[in-house]
Amino acid sequence: MRFRIKHTTRFDYDSPAYDSHNELRMCPWNRNGQRCLQFELKSEPAGAILAFDDFYGNQGHSLSVADPHDALAITATSTVEIANPDYLNYPDVPFSRFLSGDGERGNQFYEFLAQSRYIPFSERLRKFFWNGARPRGSDDVAEYVMRVVCYVRDQFEYETTKTHVHSSLNEILKSGGGVCQDFAHLTIGLLRLAGVPARYVSGYIAPARFTGGDTLGEQASHAWLEAWLPGPGWVGFDPTHRCRTDQRHIGVAIGRDYGDVPPVRGAYRSDGTKSLMSVDLSIGLASDENAVRLLHPVKRAQSQQ
Amino acid sequence: MDAQETGSVVPDLKAVKPPQPSASDMPMNEMFEESGRPRPECSRVASYLLTLEARRLVELGDRAHVMFQQMGVTFNHYGDAEGAERIFPFDPVPRIISASVWKAVEEGLIQRVRALNAFLADIYGEGAILREGIVPRDLIIGSSQFRHAAVGIKPRNQGFVTIAGIDLVRGADGRFYVLEDNVRTPSGVSYVLQNRVIMRRLFPELLRAMQVRSVENYPADLLSSLKAIAPGDSSNPVVAVLTPGAYNSAFFEHVFLAQQMGVELVEGRDLVCVDHQLFMRTIYGLRKIDVLYRRVDDDYLDPVVFRPDSLLGVAGLTAAIRAGNVAVANAIGTGVADDKAVFAYTPAMIRFYLNEEPILPIVETHLLREPDECELVLRNLDRYVIKPTGASGGYGVVIGPKASEKELEEVRARIMRDPAAYIAQPVVQLSVHPTLTSVSGEGPRLEPRHVDLRPFVLMGAEPRVLAGGLTRVALRKGSLIVNSSQGGGSKDTWVLEDECYAA
Amino acid sequence: MLRRIAEHLFWAARYLERAQWRARLVDVNYNLLLEVPPRTDDPWEALLAITGENETFKAHHSHADERSVVNFFTLDRDNPSSIRRCIDEARTNLSSMRHQVPTEVWLEVNRLYLESSGWPADALGLPSIPAFFTTLRERFYMIGGVIQATMPRDAAYDFFEMGTMLECADNVARLVDVKYHYLLPRLEDVGGAADGRQWAALLRSASSLEAFRQIYGNAMRADRVVEILLFNGEVPRSARFCVDHIAAALARLAGRYPDSASPHIEQGLLKMLVAAGSGTSVIRKGLHEFLLGFTRECSAVSDRIAAAYMTID
Repeated sequence: MRFRIKHTTRFDYDSPAYDSHNELRMCPWNRNGQRCLQFELKSEPAGAILAFDDFYGNQGHSLSVADPHDALAITATSTVEIANPDYLNYPDVPFSRFLSGDGERGNQFYEFLAQSRYIPFSERLRKFFWNGARPRGSDDVAEYVMRVVCYVRDQFEYETTKTHVHSSLNEILKSGGGVCQDFAHLTIGLLRLAGVPARYVSGYIAPARFTGGDTLGEQASHAWLEAWLPGPGWVGFDPTHRCRTDQRHIGVAIGRDYGDVPPVRGAYRSDGTKSLMSVDLSIGLASDENAVRLLHPVKRAQSQQ
Repeated sequence: MDAQETGSVVPDLKAVKPPQPSASDMPMNEMFEESGRPRPECSRVASYLLTLEARRLVELGDRAHVMFQQMGVTFNHYGDAEGAERIFPFDPVPRIISASVWKAVEEGLIQRVRALNAFLADIYGEGAILREGIVPRDLIIGSSQFRHAAVGIKPRNQGFVTIAGIDLVRGADGRFYVLEDNVRTPSGVSYVLQNRVIMRRLFPELLRAMQVRSVENYPADLLSSLKAIAPGDSSNPVVAVLTPGAYNSAFFEHVFLAQQMGVELVEGRDLVCVDHQLFMRTIYGLRKIDVLYRRVDDDYLDPVVFRPDSLLGVAGLTAAIRAGNVAVANAIGTGVADDKAVFAYTPAMIRFYLNEEPILPIVETHLLREPDECELVLRNLDRYVIKPTGASGGYGVVIGPKASEKELEEVRARIMRDPAAYIAQPVVQLSVHPTLTSVSGEGPRLEPRHVDLRPFVLMGAEPRVLAGGLTRVALRKGSLIVNSSQGGGSKDTWVLEDECYAA
Repeated sequence: MLRRIAEHLFWAARYLERAQWRARLVDVNYNLLLEVPPRTDDPWEALLAITGENETFKAHHSHADERSVVNFFTLDRDNPSSIRRCIDEARTNLSSMRHQVPTEVWLEVNRLYLESSGWPADALGLPSIPAFFTTLRERFYMIGGVIQATMPRDAAYDFFEMGTMLECADNVARLVDVKYHYLLPRLEDVGGAADGRQWAALLRSASSLEAFRQIYGNAMRADRVVEILLFNGEVPRSARFCVDHIAAALARLAGRYPDSASPHIEQGLLKMLVAAGSGTSVIRKGLHEFLLGFTRECSAVSDRIAAAYMTID
């Protein structure tokens, strides 16, 4: 499917801001069945923009606006094509065999197995893990991951008021509800405790009217995760929707947790103290004579990148 | 189980066991041989000292103290309630190093820093040494000093480290061993330069007669090393020194070096990034900076990328460096190379990147994250120095043989809770040097006190080592801790020009 | 030169100058009251009117007598412009850049600061007020002397000079404004000999008594006092002298980097003085209005200098 995305993040300041420096991660990635055909970044007022690749290989941009401004609007527009994911039959790998490669994986995927700022290995998490998310030696790794994904979603409500953007997974464990970011953090925490490398993904989810089914969180950036499975490697899972990632999921950036991939992070000078952030996101099908509008994903041969 | 199966990596020190001084040896006396005769390179100084009365030496020491005060050579001590400024205690008896000994040390130091730079370029780039399993990846990626922001920034000529301060100790066998690398913001060179100025006034004839290698050119060498990493083609790049401000304990050194080099001393609030370039705010407008000698830690350098509450750095600096418009010395992320746990792998780095055998041996270092090492050390805790990997300045260090039962139990518990946070090194009997002391009831005397050495290495267009460096002396009898903040002092270090010694 | 450094120099100078003016005011008034009976019930209250600090004073003291006013001007930690506080501020401004001024300058300012931290909390603790102020005067002369003798005449000197001169111009204008009207409520009193000592005290507060005698002899006349304190370009504390020196410093700063976007800080001060003409004419046209406008313009010039060379926008 081919989508056209327009994502505007806007900051309104109570007193003019100046000397503003920001790091953005708003460019959809270009790998593994997703192609970013076109990307444009603009800001109002205009500023100096510099592209770079970060540690995880995400495409980042530095944006700085020197002169005083009452508001800063950053708009990223892109055209992304997502191939229908191939539902391969993954080899059966029981945990008992999987864990013998622990040492090597501990090295290679260290950052995706260790705790991180939003994913602490707290007492709460450990209890939750022991009480319902522990793998058995005979469990197949891929099946286990899917089970944890559904388990997390079943245990918590989708609630926008109980947590905030800087909540660690302890918040959702305490309050019983959260949003996609929290589901992702919690699932990743459990998988890491089990020894499965897991990383956080920030991106977008296409609206239901294009793809069918229910879609939560389509008004803003969506969060999910990728787990490393023996055989296929990194595979996407969406705990908010209890599923594997599919043609709805437009990936932008990966990291240990939200802290590595906020769409906009920056510092600015101002005599005031407050800024109001608002987000405007629109995702539509990109019109193209070769594109076929599909309502349901259909199995077809995987196209070459 | 061998390394392949478990996936854990054991440092290859076991392959070729380097020379190690035994902890039970008598420490080497740098001035006198065991027979009591002065070492050849020290004969002149020794005989000069014998002609002086202790009282006269005390007078000279007092004069030195007054000179330091007048020159304002001070440091702020964090612990003091008023942040009072103190003079770093100075001992007037100079430490002598022969030309031949120094030559080997110099070569070893340059070799070390070249390897560290190759290592930094590698771990922030290809990661070959991690892929080959020579250094465990998790140790590096998991280090709090590993900076994601450094990935993708390629300093000119692999110049991550422009200024290094390598701490050396001399064992009972007379050899120099590396105790620790300092490649973030190594300090102390201002004392080296000021000590020499003082010594010229106290012992003018002695210095002249002994043909001691000069240190006065350091500021000029530092400036040219800094200019050498400037991006772009400017024929005369603008250099500035970034200081955290007057409350920093090394402020005097920041001021001193900026003045000696003739460059501006700036604080965070003087700086601004515009269009991904770094500028300082002058009365006539913004002036571009090409190279920033920053004495501010990574954590405080850029609120966009690091600590958002920091006022000591400047927002957008990382982007400006990435854009290739400004260079910083030392580069972002060098802290991984002076992590105490990574230290154990430095001989392996020299072999891997340079294909050479290390010239300077390191003090044996046990990584307590390795279960066998941890077990070995815990069994003989009273024979090791335990160091936390995140600390600096000597705090948190426990010296086994000096610790009480209670302290040993306490550190054992800490290690067992988090073994990866500690390393252990055998107690090295640091060499001793005659130092002016006042023994109560007996008046002033020259007594042996433990010393170490911090030479400074500049990696500019060509690597250069300051002749000598800072000799730190533990003023308390028997103490092995030489840091300024914990009762240490310094001596001037004289590296001789050649091997000819007349008495 | 960094903007931050310019700011520190400018304000260190202003605070040092302010401290000296306060010291002179208190010292002269004290000595005057020893000789001459007060004209009103509150001879010390007039000082508060000169510095415009009535409000601040009332916040911490109920009654304006010798002890409370001397304390207020000299020792109070609650008065941001007390001599003690001014010395503190001057030292703070210099301390973070002390290595960029000659060592002796720093040492003298620091020495004065260390002495001031040993001052008692209350004037009653001072063994002798005249002796105190004599010593203080010597300290200030020492600082001034060391600055003149050791500071190279570069941009740093220009900022220091402008701070000193602006503060001086402002203080002399206020002094003349209040004292003149305190001493001379009716125009017919101009030339009255009975106030000779009062006028002499006014001139002493501006260190200009001997200069006056040199030019005019002993005959105290109101218009001559105003003339020397406002319009004489050769007397160091005269407003004219100060304004000329500010203009010169600004010209030097602008001249150092002719290509840079260096603004012309048009100095309304000079024009105002020239337009007012002389002691006689300004009294005729309205001294108070003139001085009010003058002090406002001093403030505006200070802001313009700050905007051009010091503040970060």
